[in-house]
Amino acid sequence: MLLELDHVSKIYGDLHAVDDLSLSVQEGEWLAIVGSSGSGKTTLMNIIGCMDTPSEGTVTLEGRELNDLNASQLADVRKNIIGLVFQKFYLVPHLTAVENVMVAQYYHSVVNEKQAMEALSNVGLAERAHHLPSQLSGGEQQRVCIARALINCPKLILADEPTGNLDEANEKIVLDLFKKLHAQGTTIVVVTHDSLVASCAQREIMLNHGVLVGERWNDEAAQQRYVDAGGEPAKTRHAENSKQSAEESSMPVGFDTITKSAKAH
Amino acid sequence: MNNSRMFMAMILGAIFRRRSRALMAVIATMVGAATLFCLAAVCIAVPQQMNEDMRPYGANLVVAAIEKQGAEKTGISDAMVAHTTSMVRAKSSAKFATYRYETVRINAAPYMLAGIESTQVRALNHHWSVQGSWPSHGAVMVGSDVASALGLNVGGNVTIAYQSSDNGGSTTSKTTQDGRVSTDILNGGGSTYRVAGIVNTGGSEDEIVYATNADVNALSGVKRGADVIEYSSSAMGTDLTAIATSINDMTSMGVKAQTVTKISSSDTKIITMLQTLFWLISVVVLALTFVGVGTTMTSIVSQRRNEIGLRKALGAPNSSIRTEFYTESVIYGLVGGGLGATIGFWLARLLCSLVFGRNIAMNWWLVGVAVVLSGIIAILATIRPVVKASRIDPAVVLSEE
Repeated sequence: MLLELDHVSKIYGDLHAVDDLSLSVQEGEWLAIVGSSGSGKTTLMNIIGCMDTPSEGTVTLEGRELNDLNASQLADVRKNIIGLVFQKFYLVPHLTAVENVMVAQYYHSVVNEKQAMEALSNVGLAERAHHLPSQLSGGEQQRVCIARALINCPKLILADEPTGNLDEANEKIVLDLFKKLHAQGTTIVVVTHDSLVASCAQREIMLNHGVLVGERWNDEAAQQRYVDAGGEPAKTRHAENSKQSAEESSMPVGFDTITKSAKAH
Repeated sequence: MNNSRMFMAMILGAIFRRRSRALMAVIATMVGAATLFCLAAVCIAVPQQMNEDMRPYGANLVVAAIEKQGAEKTGISDAMVAHTTSMVRAKSSAKFATYRYETVRINAAPYMLAGIESTQVRALNHHWSVQGSWPSHGAVMVGSDVASALGLNVGGNVTIAYQSSDNGGSTTSKTTQDGRVSTDILNGGGSTYRVAGIVNTGGSEDEIVYATNADVNALSGVKRGADVIEYSSSAMGTDLTAIATSINDMTSMGVKAQTVTKISSSDTKIITMLQTLFWLISVVVLALTFVGVGTTMTSIVSQRRNEIGLRKALGAPNSSIRTEFYTESVIYGLVGGGLGATIGFWLARLLCSLVFGRNIAMNWWLVGVAVVLSGIIAILATIRPVVKASRIDPAVVLSEE
């Protein structure tokens, strides 16, 4: 497994932002984490993205346990293994598109403008490479963000609401890019409350108040590969309690209802 | 593009594509540097100017002959005058005048007669108020007190007698000059001189009669060296003392040097006051510059919180974030310092021109100090904002709505 979370909790005082979650992600898998605002999905993404550490439980990324790493070591893991895509793009406003891509190279290893241009070309932005973010549309900025996430060939792409600020046309472009990446074998974890984006993933898990409330596979072949590799269903104490009811149906109890509810947020 | 060029691209991008903030940081540094440069330039120029202005008001170094007890007065020979002058001038420029003092009798009363070279004394004492003209052959200049006591007027005559016994010698043993020895005035002798001028200084000079060295030689019948050399040196304070010490250390010269404390301490007092004022204002200006640059950099860091969070999310170590901001800050400091020094120079030039009526030259050493100091102040003022920046948690910043 590329990523393994074992009974992970993130606790702020009395609040359990993530509550005893166990989850495995196979290499090459596309996972969607869905849930309404405050469900703990961003906290979970921060933990997976090495920007936060769990209060309890262990996180293993590419066989390396992250719990004992300091901030500097976590930064190393982040730049070497993970590519980040944000809802608000977070491009450096005073750098051009190609320079924004090269920033990721700069902190990773060595700047290579040719590679950066190729990455922009792959997302269809070769001609906009020397424009500032303020001169780009939202969709274009998100594509620069994706190019930046991909430039260091990460094992895992972590995307937080990647289409949250995009119109339908740009949403489709971005999803097509993710499909292309996935087809090339990149592991993708997308945090979203958009059912369309979630449905593109091979597997969806749903969080509510930090607790796993559902898991659904959209791709049977992928599920089979996952099971064959020894993967187990995601679980929390809460999910185990409702295991019985989940087994009676092909999807966890209330998944559709909660998805609609989350989307309404 | 390599990493170094990428680093510069990031720094220059932050500076030139965020011009308003960069301009604020540069202006904050520039104002401080301009004020400091102007103050420093004036503080350097004023003492120099003051020294030059004070020099016509008399000597600040006096060298007197050391006479041996019981021996005949020989004064300071011309060769020794030249040697002493070369020692003084080795340290700084100087004007000088020699004085030979003799006690003479006018109407039986003793008076001091000084043998001088008029041009030398005149150049040294611009503040002397002379009615009439300076001494020349056969004509003397009398001090105002002497003129008043004797009822002398310009154009009148005065009879001056020289008695060897008044000057520590015996009349009979004197070597004569031009076949004559001055006689006791009681015996009806003496030489008559025209009163060419009356000098008024408000000081002890008003009690002296001045004649040319040649006339004094003729009157006394003895040609000897000067008793005193007065110097108006451009050296001040410790430099002036060092000159005096170096002369005194050479005991074989047979002279003793002494600084004229009245003028020297007056100079020093004014300069000390100026320097104290300079330091006080400098500290205030430095503090204001520090606050100005610090506030601007805090504002820049605050405005770029998301960008810093992103860089950290991309794997930037704290050292890298710090290096970027310090470099940016140093550039603001150096540019502001350079511009400030230029403006400060023109301000100082204007000030000196208006107050002293003279132009000052660009002091490149001071420019270097201003620029480097601005860079250092910019770095120091950036430490707090940068430490804050390096503590930014990417997870928190990037999760903010």
